[in-house]
Amino acid sequence: MTAVRQGLLLLQWQLRRGSTVMPLLVVVQIGMAVATVVGYGLLVGDPTPDVALYLATGAPTITLITVGLVMTPQMLGQAKTEGSLDWMRTLPVPRWTFLASDLLMWTLIALPGMVLGVVAGVLRFDVQLSIAPWLVAAALLVSLTSASVGYAMASVLPPMLAMLLTQVLVFVVLLFSPVSYPASRMPEWLQHAHEYLPIEPMAQVVRAGLANADFSVPGRSVVVLCVWCVASVGAALAALRRRA
Amino acid sequence: MEPSAVLSIRGLSKRYSGRRGVQANDGIDLDVLAGQVVGLLGHNGAGKTTLVNQVVGLVRPDAGSIRLDGIDAVADPDGARRLASIQAQANVPITGLTPRTAIQLVGRIRGGSRREVAARTQGLIETLDIGSWADMPSQKISGGIARLTAFCMTAVVPGRIVVLDEPTNDVDPVRRRLLWDAIRTLADDGAGVLLVTHNVREAERVVDHLVILDQGKVIAADTPAGLAASTRGVLTVELDLVPSLGGGLGWPPGVTGTTRERLRAAGTVPAELAADVVRWAQAQVDAGAVERYALTAASLEDVYVRLVGSDRAPVAADAELAVVA
Repeated sequence: MTAVRQGLLLLQWQLRRGSTVMPLLVVVQIGMAVATVVGYGLLVGDPTPDVALYLATGAPTITLITVGLVMTPQMLGQAKTEGSLDWMRTLPVPRWTFLASDLLMWTLIALPGMVLGVVAGVLRFDVQLSIAPWLVAAALLVSLTSASVGYAMASVLPPMLAMLLTQVLVFVVLLFSPVSYPASRMPEWLQHAHEYLPIEPMAQVVRAGLANADFSVPGRSVVVLCVWCVASVGAALAALRRRA
Repeated sequence: MEPSAVLSIRGLSKRYSGRRGVQANDGIDLDVLAGQVVGLLGHNGAGKTTLVNQVVGLVRPDAGSIRLDGIDAVADPDGARRLASIQAQANVPITGLTPRTAIQLVGRIRGGSRREVAARTQGLIETLDIGSWADMPSQKISGGIARLTAFCMTAVVPGRIVVLDEPTNDVDPVRRRLLWDAIRTLADDGAGVLLVTHNVREAERVVDHLVILDQGKVIAADTPAGLAASTRGVLTVELDLVPSLGGGLGWPPGVTGTTRERLRAAGTVPAELAADVVRWAQAQVDAGAVERYALTAASLEDVYVRLVGSDRAPVAADAELAVVA
Protein backbone atom coordinates (compact mmCIF):
# COMPACT_ATOMS: atom_id res chain seq x y z
CA MET A 1 0.00 0.00 0.00
CA THR A 2 2.86 2.30 0.90
CA ALA A 3 4.37 1.69 -2.52
CA VAL A 4 1.15 2.69 -4.29
CA ARG A 5 0.91 5.85 -2.18
CA GLN A 6 4.54 6.67 -2.93
CA GLY A 7 3.96 6.05 -6.62
CA LEU A 8 1.03 8.46 -6.70
CA LEU A 9 3.00 11.10 -4.79
CA LEU A 10 5.89 10.70 -7.22
CA LEU A 11 3.45 11.07 -10.10
CA GLN A 12 2.18 14.24 -8.48
CA TRP A 13 5.77 15.47 -8.13
CA GLN A 14 6.51 14.79 -11.81
CA LEU A 15 3.27 16.31 -13.08
CA ARG A 16 3.66 19.43 -10.96
CA ARG A 17 7.28 19.81 -11.96
CA GLY A 18 6.20 19.58 -15.56
CA SER A 19 3.17 21.82 -15.09
CA THR A 20 4.70 24.49 -17.32
CA VAL A 21 5.41 22.16 -20.27
CA MET A 22 2.79 19.44 -19.85
CA PRO A 23 -0.13 21.41 -21.35
CA LEU A 24 2.08 22.22 -24.33
CA LEU A 25 3.06 18.57 -24.67
CA VAL A 26 -0.57 17.53 -24.71
CA VAL A 27 -1.44 20.20 -27.29
CA VAL A 28 1.45 19.07 -29.50
CA GLN A 29 0.28 15.48 -29.13
CA ILE A 30 -3.24 16.40 -30.18
CA GLY A 31 -1.91 18.44 -33.09
CA MET A 32 0.29 15.55 -34.12
CA ALA A 33 -2.59 13.05 -34.03
CA VAL A 34 -4.87 15.29 -36.06
CA ALA A 35 -2.06 16.17 -38.48
CA THR A 36 -1.37 12.49 -39.10
CA VAL A 37 -4.97 11.95 -40.15
CA VAL A 38 -5.23 15.10 -42.24
CA GLY A 39 -1.70 14.82 -43.67
CA TYR A 40 -2.03 11.24 -44.82
CA GLY A 41 -5.39 12.20 -46.24
CA LEU A 42 -3.62 14.74 -48.43
CA LEU A 43 -1.00 12.18 -49.45
CA VAL A 44 -3.51 9.62 -50.66
CA GLY A 45 -6.09 12.02 -52.10
CA ASP A 46 -9.63 10.80 -51.82
CA PRO A 47 -9.26 7.43 -50.07
CA THR A 48 -11.54 4.47 -50.54
CA PRO A 49 -13.51 3.50 -47.42
CA ASP A 50 -11.12 0.70 -46.43
CA VAL A 51 -8.02 2.92 -46.89
CA ALA A 52 -9.78 5.63 -44.88
CA LEU A 53 -10.53 3.19 -42.09
CA TYR A 54 -6.88 2.14 -42.10
CA LEU A 55 -5.75 5.76 -41.78
CA ALA A 56 -8.26 6.66 -39.09
CA THR A 57 -7.37 3.65 -36.95
CA GLY A 58 -3.61 4.07 -37.48
CA ALA A 59 -3.34 7.64 -36.23
CA PRO A 60 -3.96 6.84 -32.54
CA THR A 61 -1.15 4.28 -32.63
CA ILE A 62 1.21 6.88 -34.09
CA THR A 63 0.39 9.17 -31.16
CA LEU A 64 0.96 6.49 -28.56
CA ILE A 65 4.24 5.43 -30.14
CA THR A 66 5.68 8.92 -30.54
CA VAL A 67 4.99 9.82 -26.91
CA GLY A 68 6.68 6.66 -25.74
CA LEU A 69 9.58 6.54 -28.15
CA VAL A 70 10.30 10.25 -28.49
CA MET A 71 9.06 12.26 -25.53
CA THR A 72 9.92 9.73 -22.85
CA PRO A 73 13.63 9.47 -23.82
CA GLN A 74 13.87 13.24 -24.26
CA MET A 75 12.45 13.97 -20.81
CA LEU A 76 14.48 11.21 -19.20
CA GLY A 77 17.62 12.51 -20.91
CA GLN A 78 16.90 15.94 -19.50
CA ALA A 79 16.34 14.52 -16.00
CA LYS A 80 19.67 12.73 -16.32
CA THR A 81 21.50 15.86 -17.43
CA GLU A 82 20.04 18.17 -14.79
CA GLY A 83 20.69 15.65 -12.02
CA SER A 84 17.13 15.14 -10.88
CA LEU A 85 17.13 11.47 -11.91
CA ASP A 86 20.02 10.64 -9.58
CA TRP A 87 18.38 12.54 -6.77
CA MET A 88 15.08 10.74 -7.27
CA ARG A 89 17.00 7.48 -7.22
CA THR A 90 18.10 8.27 -3.65
CA LEU A 91 14.50 8.43 -2.42
CA PRO A 92 13.26 5.46 -0.40
CA VAL A 93 10.97 4.32 -3.21
CA PRO A 94 11.21 0.84 -4.77
CA ARG A 95 12.51 1.05 -8.34
CA TRP A 96 9.44 -0.58 -9.84
CA THR A 97 7.21 2.02 -8.13
CA PHE A 98 9.35 4.74 -9.60
CA LEU A 99 9.11 3.20 -13.08
CA ALA A 100 5.37 2.59 -12.76
CA SER A 101 4.66 6.20 -11.81
CA ASP A 102 6.76 7.49 -14.70
CA LEU A 103 5.13 5.17 -17.24
CA LEU A 104 1.70 6.07 -15.90
CA MET A 105 2.52 9.73 -16.44
CA TRP A 106 3.47 9.13 -20.08
CA THR A 107 0.29 7.17 -20.65
CA LEU A 108 -1.78 10.02 -19.21
CA ILE A 109 -0.04 12.50 -21.50
CA ALA A 110 -0.61 10.34 -24.58
CA LEU A 111 -4.29 9.70 -23.92
CA PRO A 112 -5.89 13.01 -25.01
CA GLY A 113 -3.97 12.92 -28.31
CA MET A 114 -5.05 9.39 -28.94
CA VAL A 115 -8.72 10.09 -28.30
CA LEU A 116 -8.74 13.24 -30.44
CA GLY A 117 -6.83 11.41 -33.18
CA VAL A 118 -9.69 8.92 -33.32
CA VAL A 119 -12.28 11.71 -33.34
CA ALA A 120 -10.41 13.55 -36.14
CA GLY A 121 -10.25 10.35 -38.20
CA VAL A 122 -13.94 9.68 -37.80
CA LEU A 123 -14.86 13.23 -38.78
CA ARG A 124 -12.42 13.52 -41.69
CA PHE A 125 -13.08 10.17 -43.33
CA ASP A 126 -16.58 9.49 -42.11
CA VAL A 127 -15.71 5.95 -41.02
CA GLN A 128 -17.77 3.61 -38.90
CA LEU A 129 -15.99 2.35 -35.75
CA SER A 130 -16.87 -0.72 -33.72
CA ILE A 131 -15.09 -0.46 -30.42
CA ALA A 132 -14.00 -3.63 -28.63
CA PRO A 133 -14.40 -3.84 -24.85
CA TRP A 134 -10.65 -4.47 -24.46
CA LEU A 135 -9.58 -1.32 -26.34
CA VAL A 136 -8.46 0.45 -23.15
CA ALA A 137 -6.32 -2.53 -22.15
CA ALA A 138 -4.81 -2.62 -25.64
CA ALA A 139 -4.04 1.09 -25.58
CA LEU A 140 -2.39 0.70 -22.17
CA LEU A 141 -0.28 -2.20 -23.41
CA VAL A 142 0.88 -0.21 -26.45
CA SER A 143 1.57 2.88 -24.37
CA LEU A 144 3.41 0.90 -21.70
CA THR A 145 5.54 -0.94 -24.24
CA SER A 146 6.56 2.09 -26.26
CA ALA A 147 7.26 4.17 -23.14
CA SER A 148 9.43 1.42 -21.66
CA VAL A 149 11.32 0.95 -24.92
CA GLY A 150 11.96 4.70 -24.85
CA TYR A 151 12.86 4.56 -21.17
CA ALA A 152 15.28 1.70 -21.65
CA MET A 153 16.82 3.45 -24.66
CA ALA A 154 17.40 6.69 -22.71
CA SER A 155 18.73 4.81 -19.70
CA VAL A 156 21.26 2.77 -21.60
CA LEU A 157 22.47 5.24 -24.25
CA PRO A 158 24.25 8.57 -23.75
CA PRO A 159 21.65 11.41 -23.89
CA MET A 160 22.89 12.79 -27.22
CA LEU A 161 22.71 9.44 -28.99
CA ALA A 162 19.29 8.70 -27.51
CA MET A 163 17.99 12.04 -28.84
CA LEU A 164 19.26 11.30 -32.34
CA LEU A 165 17.81 7.84 -32.31
CA THR A 166 14.38 9.20 -31.36
CA GLN A 167 14.43 11.43 -34.46
CA VAL A 168 15.22 8.46 -36.68
CA LEU A 169 12.52 6.40 -35.01
CA VAL A 170 9.80 8.99 -35.68
CA PHE A 171 10.67 8.80 -39.34
CA VAL A 172 10.59 5.02 -39.35
CA VAL A 173 7.30 4.88 -37.46
CA LEU A 174 5.59 7.48 -39.66
CA LEU A 175 6.73 6.32 -43.08
CA PHE A 176 8.20 2.86 -42.95
CA SER A 177 5.84 1.02 -40.66
CA PRO A 178 2.59 -0.71 -41.49
CA VAL A 179 0.56 1.57 -39.21
CA SER A 180 -1.36 3.81 -41.61
CA TYR A 181 -1.16 1.51 -44.61
CA PRO A 182 -1.16 -2.29 -45.01
CA ALA A 183 2.14 -4.19 -44.73
CA SER A 184 1.60 -5.64 -48.20
CA ARG A 185 2.76 -2.34 -49.74
CA MET A 186 6.23 -2.64 -48.20
CA PRO A 187 9.19 -4.51 -49.64
CA GLU A 188 9.36 -8.08 -48.47
CA TRP A 189 12.47 -7.67 -46.30
CA LEU A 190 10.82 -4.82 -44.41
CA GLN A 191 7.66 -6.86 -43.94
CA HIS A 192 9.82 -9.59 -42.54
CA ALA A 193 11.60 -7.18 -40.16
CA HIS A 194 8.26 -5.90 -38.90
CA GLU A 195 7.28 -9.42 -37.94
CA TYR A 196 9.74 -9.14 -35.07
CA LEU A 197 9.40 -5.43 -34.26
CA PRO A 198 6.66 -4.20 -31.91
CA ILE A 199 5.25 -1.50 -34.21
CA GLU A 200 2.99 -3.61 -36.42
CA PRO A 201 1.50 -5.54 -33.48
CA MET A 202 0.85 -2.22 -31.74
CA ALA A 203 -1.02 -0.95 -34.79
CA GLN A 204 -2.95 -4.21 -35.05
CA VAL A 205 -4.23 -4.28 -31.48
CA VAL A 206 -5.32 -0.65 -31.56
CA ARG A 207 -6.92 -1.05 -34.98
CA ALA A 208 -8.79 -4.18 -34.00
CA GLY A 209 -9.86 -2.48 -30.79
CA LEU A 210 -11.30 0.47 -32.69
CA ALA A 211 -12.82 -1.33 -35.65
CA ASN A 212 -13.50 -4.72 -34.22
CA ALA A 213 -15.96 -5.62 -36.97
CA ASP A 214 -13.37 -5.13 -39.74
CA PHE A 215 -10.05 -6.21 -38.20
CA SER A 216 -8.71 -8.88 -35.91
CA VAL A 217 -5.37 -9.39 -34.14
CA PRO A 218 -3.24 -12.40 -35.09
CA GLY A 219 -2.24 -14.36 -31.99
CA ARG A 220 1.39 -14.11 -33.00
CA SER A 221 1.22 -10.29 -32.83
CA VAL A 222 -0.08 -10.42 -29.28
CA VAL A 223 2.81 -12.68 -28.34
CA VAL A 224 5.39 -10.43 -30.05
CA LEU A 225 3.95 -7.37 -28.34
CA CYS A 226 3.90 -9.02 -24.92
CA VAL A 227 7.49 -10.19 -25.31
CA TRP A 228 8.57 -6.65 -26.17
CA CYS A 229 6.59 -5.28 -23.26
CA VAL A 230 8.10 -7.63 -20.70
CA ALA A 231 11.62 -7.25 -22.12
CA SER A 232 11.52 -3.45 -22.24
CA VAL A 233 10.01 -3.05 -18.78
CA GLY A 234 12.70 -5.44 -17.54
CA ALA A 235 15.43 -3.45 -19.29
CA ALA A 236 14.13 -0.14 -17.92
CA LEU A 237 13.96 -1.60 -14.43
CA ALA A 238 17.47 -3.02 -14.72
CA ALA A 239 18.74 0.37 -15.90
CA LEU A 240 17.16 2.08 -12.89
CA ARG A 241 18.61 -0.50 -10.52
CA ARG A 242 22.08 -0.32 -12.04
CA ARG A 243 24.84 0.97 -9.77
CA ALA A 244 27.91 2.64 -11.22
CA MET B 1 31.70 -1.82 15.91
CA GLU B 2 30.00 0.40 18.47
CA PRO B 3 26.52 -0.85 19.35
CA SER B 4 24.80 2.43 18.44
CA ALA B 5 26.55 3.08 15.12
CA VAL B 6 23.87 3.95 12.55
CA LEU B 7 26.45 3.94 9.76
CA SER B 8 29.45 1.68 9.83
CA ILE B 9 31.83 1.51 6.90
CA ARG B 10 34.74 -0.90 6.76
CA GLY B 11 37.48 -1.23 4.15
CA LEU B 12 35.42 0.53 1.49
CA SER B 13 37.14 0.68 -1.90
CA LYS B 14 35.93 1.89 -5.26
CA ARG B 15 37.87 2.26 -8.46
CA TYR B 16 36.30 3.88 -11.52
CA SER B 17 37.40 2.08 -14.63
CA GLY B 18 38.15 3.86 -17.87
CA ARG B 19 41.23 5.06 -19.64
CA ARG B 20 42.44 6.94 -16.60
CA GLY B 21 41.13 4.72 -13.83
CA VAL B 22 40.68 6.58 -10.55
CA GLN B 23 40.90 4.96 -7.14
CA ALA B 24 38.15 7.10 -5.64
CA ASN B 25 37.93 5.28 -2.30
CA ASP B 26 40.76 3.22 -0.89
CA GLY B 27 40.04 1.18 2.23
CA ILE B 28 37.89 3.67 4.11
CA ASP B 29 36.73 2.98 7.69
CA LEU B 30 34.12 5.31 9.14
CA ASP B 31 31.44 5.24 11.85
CA VAL B 32 28.58 7.58 12.54
CA LEU B 33 26.79 7.08 15.85
CA ALA B 34 23.21 8.09 16.56
CA GLY B 35 23.14 11.67 17.77
CA GLN B 36 26.52 12.45 16.26
CA VAL B 37 27.53 14.87 13.52
CA VAL B 38 30.54 13.51 11.66
CA GLY B 39 32.31 15.93 9.35
CA LEU B 40 33.87 14.53 6.21
CA LEU B 41 36.55 16.87 4.89
CA GLY B 42 38.69 16.65 1.82
CA HIS B 43 39.71 18.62 -1.23
CA ASN B 44 37.91 18.32 -4.55
CA GLY B 45 38.25 14.79 -5.87
CA ALA B 46 39.20 13.31 -2.49
CA GLY B 47 36.41 10.73 -2.85
CA LYS B 48 33.73 12.25 -0.61
CA THR B 49 30.85 12.13 -3.08
CA THR B 50 31.79 8.61 -4.19
CA LEU B 51 31.56 7.56 -0.56
CA VAL B 52 28.13 9.17 -0.20
CA ASN B 53 26.84 7.60 -3.42
CA GLN B 54 27.82 4.16 -2.17
CA VAL B 55 25.89 4.66 1.06
CA VAL B 56 22.65 5.32 -0.86
CA GLY B 57 23.23 2.63 -3.48
CA LEU B 58 23.96 4.73 -6.56
CA VAL B 59 27.48 3.33 -6.77
CA ARG B 60 28.50 -0.24 -6.01
CA PRO B 61 31.72 -0.67 -4.02
CA ASP B 62 34.51 -2.95 -5.27
CA ALA B 63 35.31 -4.10 -1.76
CA GLY B 64 34.36 -3.43 1.83
CA SER B 65 31.12 -3.24 3.76
CA ILE B 66 28.53 -0.59 4.55
CA ARG B 67 26.10 -1.31 7.37
CA LEU B 68 23.25 1.05 7.94
CA ASP B 69 21.47 0.47 11.22
CA GLY B 70 22.24 -3.22 10.86
CA ILE B 71 21.30 -3.47 7.17
CA ASP B 72 23.90 -4.48 4.61
CA ALA B 73 23.65 -1.50 2.25
CA VAL B 74 25.67 -3.19 -0.50
CA ALA B 75 23.40 -6.25 -0.68
CA ASP B 76 20.16 -4.38 0.06
CA PRO B 77 20.32 -0.85 -1.39
CA ASP B 78 16.52 -0.50 -1.25
CA GLY B 79 16.58 -1.22 2.47
CA ALA B 80 19.45 1.22 2.98
CA ARG B 81 17.58 3.99 1.20
CA ARG B 82 14.67 3.60 3.57
CA LEU B 83 17.01 4.44 6.46
CA ALA B 84 18.93 7.28 4.83
CA SER B 85 18.05 10.73 3.63
CA ILE B 86 20.49 12.60 1.49
CA GLN B 87 21.06 16.14 0.30
CA ALA B 88 23.07 15.80 -2.87
CA GLN B 89 25.84 18.17 -3.86
CA ALA B 90 23.94 19.33 -6.95
CA ASN B 91 20.74 21.23 -6.36
CA VAL B 92 17.54 19.31 -7.00
CA PRO B 93 15.61 21.05 -9.78
CA ILE B 94 12.14 21.88 -8.46
CA THR B 95 10.84 24.10 -11.26
CA GLY B 96 7.07 24.13 -11.26
CA LEU B 97 6.88 23.67 -7.49
CA THR B 98 7.14 26.10 -4.60
CA PRO B 99 9.69 25.30 -1.88
CA ARG B 100 6.88 24.43 0.50
CA THR B 101 5.14 21.98 -1.86
CA ALA B 102 8.47 20.40 -2.75
CA ILE B 103 9.38 19.89 0.91
CA GLN B 104 5.93 18.53 1.75
CA LEU B 105 5.79 16.14 -1.21
CA VAL B 106 9.19 14.69 -0.36
CA GLY B 107 8.18 14.39 3.29
CA ARG B 108 5.10 12.40 2.31
CA ILE B 109 7.06 10.25 -0.15
CA ARG B 110 9.36 9.52 2.81
CA GLY B 111 6.33 8.20 4.66
CA GLY B 112 5.26 11.14 6.81
CA SER B 113 1.55 11.82 7.31
CA ARG B 114 0.13 14.91 5.65
CA ARG B 115 -0.38 16.77 8.92
CA GLU B 116 2.99 15.91 10.49
CA VAL B 117 4.79 16.87 7.32
CA ALA B 118 2.98 20.20 7.03
CA ALA B 119 3.85 21.09 10.62
CA ARG B 120 7.46 19.99 10.29
CA THR B 121 7.82 21.89 7.00
CA GLN B 122 6.54 25.06 8.62
CA GLY B 123 8.98 24.52 11.51
CA LEU B 124 11.97 24.18 9.17
CA ILE B 125 10.91 27.18 7.09
CA GLU B 126 10.76 29.27 10.26
CA THR B 127 14.03 27.90 11.64
CA LEU B 128 15.88 28.81 8.45
CA ASP B 129 13.99 32.08 7.99
CA ILE B 130 12.93 31.40 4.39
CA GLY B 131 9.23 32.15 4.89
CA SER B 132 9.19 34.95 2.29
CA TRP B 133 10.16 32.50 -0.44
CA ALA B 134 8.29 29.42 0.77
CA ASP B 135 5.27 29.93 -1.46
CA MET B 136 6.97 31.47 -4.44
CA PRO B 137 7.45 29.51 -7.70
CA SER B 138 10.94 28.08 -7.48
CA GLN B 139 12.00 29.69 -10.78
CA LYS B 140 12.13 32.95 -8.83
CA ILE B 141 14.25 31.88 -5.87
CA SER B 142 18.00 32.32 -5.51
CA GLY B 143 20.61 29.57 -5.35
CA GLY B 144 20.98 29.94 -1.60
CA ILE B 145 17.27 29.53 -0.96
CA ALA B 146 17.19 26.55 -3.33
CA ARG B 147 20.01 25.03 -1.28
CA LEU B 148 18.13 25.59 1.97
CA THR B 149 15.01 24.10 0.37
CA ALA B 150 17.03 21.01 -0.54
CA PHE B 151 18.16 20.78 3.07
CA CYS B 152 14.54 20.96 4.26
CA MET B 153 13.59 18.25 1.76
CA THR B 154 16.23 16.05 3.40
CA ALA B 155 15.40 16.97 6.99
CA VAL B 156 11.60 17.01 6.80
CA VAL B 157 11.39 13.29 7.54
CA PRO B 158 15.00 12.44 8.35
CA GLY B 159 16.34 8.92 8.03
CA ARG B 160 18.33 7.20 10.76
CA ILE B 161 21.29 8.61 8.90
CA VAL B 162 21.22 12.01 7.22
CA VAL B 163 23.88 12.70 4.61
CA LEU B 164 24.49 16.33 3.72
CA ASP B 165 26.83 17.07 0.83
CA GLU B 166 27.98 20.71 1.03
CA PRO B 167 24.75 22.03 2.57
CA THR B 168 26.07 25.58 3.11
CA ASN B 169 27.09 26.34 -0.48
CA ASP B 170 25.55 29.59 -1.77
CA VAL B 171 23.88 30.30 1.59
CA ASP B 172 24.26 33.76 3.11
CA PRO B 173 26.24 34.10 6.38
CA VAL B 174 23.22 34.77 8.58
CA ARG B 175 21.25 31.80 7.32
CA ARG B 176 24.40 29.65 7.37
CA ARG B 177 24.37 30.02 11.16
CA LEU B 178 20.70 29.04 11.28
CA LEU B 179 21.51 26.06 9.07
CA TRP B 180 24.36 24.90 11.30
CA ASP B 181 21.98 25.02 14.26
CA ALA B 182 19.38 23.04 12.31
CA ILE B 183 22.02 20.41 11.47
CA ARG B 184 22.99 20.17 15.14
CA THR B 185 19.32 19.78 16.07
CA LEU B 186 18.92 16.89 13.61
CA ALA B 187 21.62 14.99 15.50
CA ASP B 188 20.31 16.01 18.92
CA ASP B 189 16.95 14.56 17.89
CA GLY B 190 18.64 11.21 17.35
CA ALA B 191 19.78 10.95 13.74
CA GLY B 192 23.38 10.29 12.76
CA VAL B 193 24.59 13.06 10.46
CA LEU B 194 27.35 12.66 7.92
CA LEU B 195 28.34 16.13 6.82
CA VAL B 196 30.47 16.60 3.73
CA THR B 197 31.90 20.09 3.64
CA HIS B 198 34.71 22.41 2.67
CA ASN B 199 33.66 24.91 5.25
CA VAL B 200 36.01 23.72 7.96
CA ARG B 201 35.87 26.80 10.15
CA GLU B 202 32.13 26.84 10.46
CA ALA B 203 31.66 23.08 10.65
CA GLU B 204 34.04 23.02 13.61
CA ARG B 205 31.25 24.36 15.81
CA VAL B 206 28.78 21.55 15.19
CA VAL B 207 30.75 18.40 14.48
CA ASP B 208 31.52 15.78 17.10
CA HIS B 209 34.00 13.92 14.99
CA LEU B 210 36.01 14.70 11.89
CA VAL B 211 37.28 12.44 9.15
CA ILE B 212 39.75 13.83 6.64
CA LEU B 213 39.97 12.15 3.24
CA ASP B 214 42.82 12.55 0.82
CA GLN B 215 43.10 10.62 -2.44
CA GLY B 216 40.49 8.15 -1.31
CA LYS B 217 42.14 7.38 2.04
CA VAL B 218 41.33 8.46 5.58
CA ILE B 219 44.40 10.44 6.64
CA ALA B 220 43.03 11.63 9.98
CA ALA B 221 40.00 10.91 12.13
CA ASP B 222 39.43 12.38 15.55
CA THR B 223 37.40 14.86 17.55
CA PRO B 224 37.99 18.49 16.62
CA ALA B 225 39.89 18.93 19.89
CA GLY B 226 41.98 15.86 19.20
CA LEU B 227 42.91 17.05 15.73
CA ALA B 228 43.80 20.48 17.03
CA ALA B 229 45.86 19.05 19.90
CA SER B 230 49.08 19.35 17.94
CA THR B 231 48.57 23.08 17.75
CA ARG B 232 47.80 23.58 21.42
CA GLY B 233 50.02 26.23 22.95
CA VAL B 234 50.47 27.98 19.63
CA LEU B 235 48.55 31.07 18.61
CA THR B 236 48.28 33.03 15.40
CA VAL B 237 48.63 36.79 15.39
CA GLU B 238 46.94 38.63 12.53
CA LEU B 239 47.37 42.32 11.76
CA ASP B 240 45.36 44.57 9.43
CA LEU B 241 47.87 47.14 8.23
CA VAL B 242 47.14 50.77 7.38
CA PRO B 243 47.36 51.26 3.61
CA SER B 244 50.06 53.92 3.95
CA LEU B 245 52.51 51.69 5.85
CA GLY B 246 55.66 51.60 3.79
CA GLY B 247 58.53 49.76 5.46
CA GLY B 248 58.87 46.62 7.53
CA LEU B 249 56.93 45.77 10.67
CA GLY B 250 59.66 44.88 13.10
CA TRP B 251 58.03 41.81 14.67
CA PRO B 252 58.82 41.29 18.36
CA PRO B 253 61.05 38.33 19.39
CA GLY B 254 59.35 34.92 19.50
CA VAL B 255 57.05 35.48 16.52
CA THR B 256 57.85 32.96 13.80
CA GLY B 257 56.50 31.92 10.42
CA THR B 258 55.53 35.45 9.53
CA THR B 259 53.76 36.23 6.27
CA ARG B 260 52.98 39.60 4.74
CA GLU B 261 50.44 40.51 2.09
CA ARG B 262 49.58 44.02 1.00
CA LEU B 263 47.32 44.95 3.92
CA ARG B 264 47.67 41.89 6.07
CA ALA B 265 50.40 40.30 8.12
CA ALA B 266 50.38 37.17 10.24
CA GLY B 267 52.72 35.14 12.40
CA THR B 268 52.84 32.28 14.90
CA VAL B 269 53.26 32.99 18.61
CA PRO B 270 53.93 30.59 21.50
CA ALA B 271 51.11 31.01 24.06
CA GLU B 272 53.45 32.18 26.83
CA LEU B 273 54.49 35.20 24.75
CA ALA B 274 50.89 36.18 23.96
CA ALA B 275 50.75 39.05 26.44
CA ASP B 276 54.00 40.55 25.08
CA VAL B 277 52.76 40.33 21.52
CA VAL B 278 49.43 41.95 22.41
CA ARG B 279 51.31 44.83 24.10
CA TRP B 280 53.47 45.21 21.01
CA ALA B 281 50.49 45.09 18.66
CA GLN B 282 48.55 47.66 20.69
CA ALA B 283 51.60 49.94 20.49
CA GLN B 284 51.56 49.52 16.70
CA VAL B 285 47.87 50.51 16.64
CA ASP B 286 48.63 53.56 18.79
CA ALA B 287 51.50 54.45 16.47
CA GLY B 288 49.16 54.28 13.48
CA ALA B 289 50.91 51.42 11.64
CA VAL B 290 48.22 48.82 12.31
CA GLU B 291 44.45 49.25 12.08
CA ARG B 292 43.53 46.28 14.22
CA TYR B 293 44.97 43.00 15.40
CA ALA B 294 43.77 39.63 16.57
CA LEU B 295 45.24 36.69 18.39
CA THR B 296 43.52 33.40 17.65
CA ALA B 297 44.03 29.78 18.48
CA ALA B 298 45.23 27.81 15.46
CA SER B 299 42.03 26.68 13.71
CA LEU B 300 41.03 23.29 12.43
CA GLU B 301 41.41 24.74 9.00
CA ASP B 302 45.11 25.29 9.69
CA VAL B 303 45.35 21.67 10.80
CA TYR B 304 43.47 20.55 7.71
CA VAL B 305 45.66 22.55 5.37
CA ARG B 306 48.76 21.10 6.98
CA LEU B 307 47.42 17.56 6.61
CA VAL B 308 46.35 17.68 2.97
CA GLY B 309 48.91 20.20 1.79
CA SER B 310 48.38 23.90 1.26
CA ASP B 311 48.31 23.58 -2.51
CA ARG B 312 44.94 21.89 -2.16
CA ALA B 313 43.46 24.06 0.55
CA PRO B 314 39.71 24.37 0.77
CA VAL B 315 38.05 27.68 0.08
CA ALA B 316 38.77 29.60 3.27
CA ALA B 317 35.89 31.22 5.03
CA ASP B 318 36.55 34.67 6.40
CA ALA B 319 38.65 34.27 9.49
CA GLU B 320 36.81 34.77 12.69
CA LEU B 321 38.66 37.22 14.84
CA ALA B 322 38.84 36.13 18.42
CA VAL B 323 40.87 38.54 20.45
CA VAL B 324 42.18 36.83 23.53
CA ALA B 325 44.03 39.74 25.08
